[in-house]
Amino acid sequence: MINPASALRSYRAQRRPLTFAKASLYGFVLLAALSWGFILLDGDSGFVDLFAVKTWRSAGRFLAELFGVGAPGTPAFLQPARWLETGQLAYRTLAMSVLAIGFAGAGALLTMLPAARNVSSGELGGAPSRLGRPLYFAVRILFTLTRAIPELVWAMIIVFFLSPGVLLGAIALGIHNYGIVGRLTAEVVENLDPAPARALRAAGASNTQMFLYGILPRALPQFTTYLLYRWEVVIRTTVVVGFVSAGGLGREFRQRLSWFHYDEVFLLIMWYLLLVIAVDLISALIRRRLRYA
Amino acid sequence: MRFLQSSRLLTVLLAAAGAWSLTAIDWNGPWLHTGGAASFLRFLLALFPPDLSADFLLIALTASGQTLAYAVAGMTVAILIGVPLGIIASGVAFTPGSRLRRPSVAATRFLLGGMRAVHELVWAVLFVAAIGLSPLAAIFALGLPYAGILGRIYADLLQDVPPEPIAALRTTGASPLRLFSYGYWPMALPDLIGYTFYRLECAIRAAAIMSFVGIPGLGYQIQLSLHDLLFDQVWTLLLFLVAIIVAVDLWSSRIRRSLLS
Repeated sequence: MINPASALRSYRAQRRPLTFAKASLYGFVLLAALSWGFILLDGDSGFVDLFAVKTWRSAGRFLAELFGVGAPGTPAFLQPARWLETGQLAYRTLAMSVLAIGFAGAGALLTMLPAARNVSSGELGGAPSRLGRPLYFAVRILFTLTRAIPELVWAMIIVFFLSPGVLLGAIALGIHNYGIVGRLTAEVVENLDPAPARALRAAGASNTQMFLYGILPRALPQFTTYLLYRWEVVIRTTVVVGFVSAGGLGREFRQRLSWFHYDEVFLLIMWYLLLVIAVDLISALIRRRLRYA
Repeated sequence: MRFLQSSRLLTVLLAAAGAWSLTAIDWNGPWLHTGGAASFLRFLLALFPPDLSADFLLIALTASGQTLAYAVAGMTVAILIGVPLGIIASGVAFTPGSRLRRPSVAATRFLLGGMRAVHELVWAVLFVAAIGLSPLAAIFALGLPYAGILGRIYADLLQDVPPEPIAALRTTGASPLRLFSYGYWPMALPDLIGYTFYRLECAIRAAAIMSFVGIPGLGYQIQLSLHDLLFDQVWTLLLFLVAIIVAVDLWSSRIRRSLLS
């Protein structure tokens, strides 16, 4: 008869020690305590308001207005004409997300080779170029820089140079996602089995031929999967980038909110959720096909 | 042959989607503002050097601390909500054959999906409209979608626990509770920890953009400096953000590596 506690002990004993992770866990708990201490003690955190009747009454009123209570005339979400009008915004938002993923994907494809350690070092059979190492570091720094800065901050910066619109939003989303997709794609290339590329090289393939036949076809399915995963995230973020006058649902959402047109806000949220669900479904469908391909 | 057909179809589909998205661009309009190119150049050149005066470094450091505090606080909310919901959504803690299992798994998975569907800043804007601006509103806005993500991954990881040790435990007549606390939970824990730390990096970016609803931190300072066209200050703040992200990234990948070996 095995006793669960002793079974667990023996399971733990034969496994790796948790030292660094355990220390990190304690570190995180300490950090959390400090953070909460700072937030609750530094000025008004809104903690007291949580127990005020006024707060919850205003929240209730907001919810009721969201569902059209007190709206002048028919609530927006019950008017087919308003659905059609805002549908055009949703259409542009969807296009913006696809465009952003297109930018990120194109950029990642262009830099996947120099960013892969096995390519830049010549391990895949390519002649190691003297530019390999500097290029590798340059692209990796670019990945880190673009990835670390969120889409919204990129949009706030770009709005100084570019006219507001779909292009602005797509570029802001594209830059951030380029850093993420680029890094993942480089890892895909690094994890490729080097044998086919080496065989091509031995057969006298040029650099271009080796890329087109030895690397690209085998990296492409995983690359597309990552793009689709990111697309699911990007569609959620398009609205946020739209806050910075990047057009689409986001801009309208923010304006309606500041005008207290809460029934319109509800309609926009409906479109937003429809987009999110649609993109999740399409992405899952294509990913399943990719797996069979 | 089927492989060729389906991959060719996919290529055509994806290319068509890309071409379609180009039609949404306003091709006529002037893309750049008047003087946009000049200010872009000014922005790039402001990196050499960024504002490194002691006064401003102190501001940047404080803002970094605030952003980190909001991110960690948001993550604690996400963990506290995500763990119980994830456990229910995994369905592993139910008595086998329990009639409650299927509906509760479906309901929690749906709930997690709903929390995840809405971006944290959209939650924040809605919360501010509902109960007014406060740090707690921002923290819950951050915690909600992250709980949705964490809960879903926790549920998947709990379901992926190797079945053999669980079966061995079950033969000893362990109750579902014991099965969970001595089987599923300790076996999944390393992966749960690894994934949570991986998400911390994203939470820092999310905390930074909470400035949009007026929460102090790096995003807020970036907004202020942008308004004053002080691009050298913007770069300082951006570099601080990059430094935190890189540090957390190194920390979390080190944790994941130590859990693997």
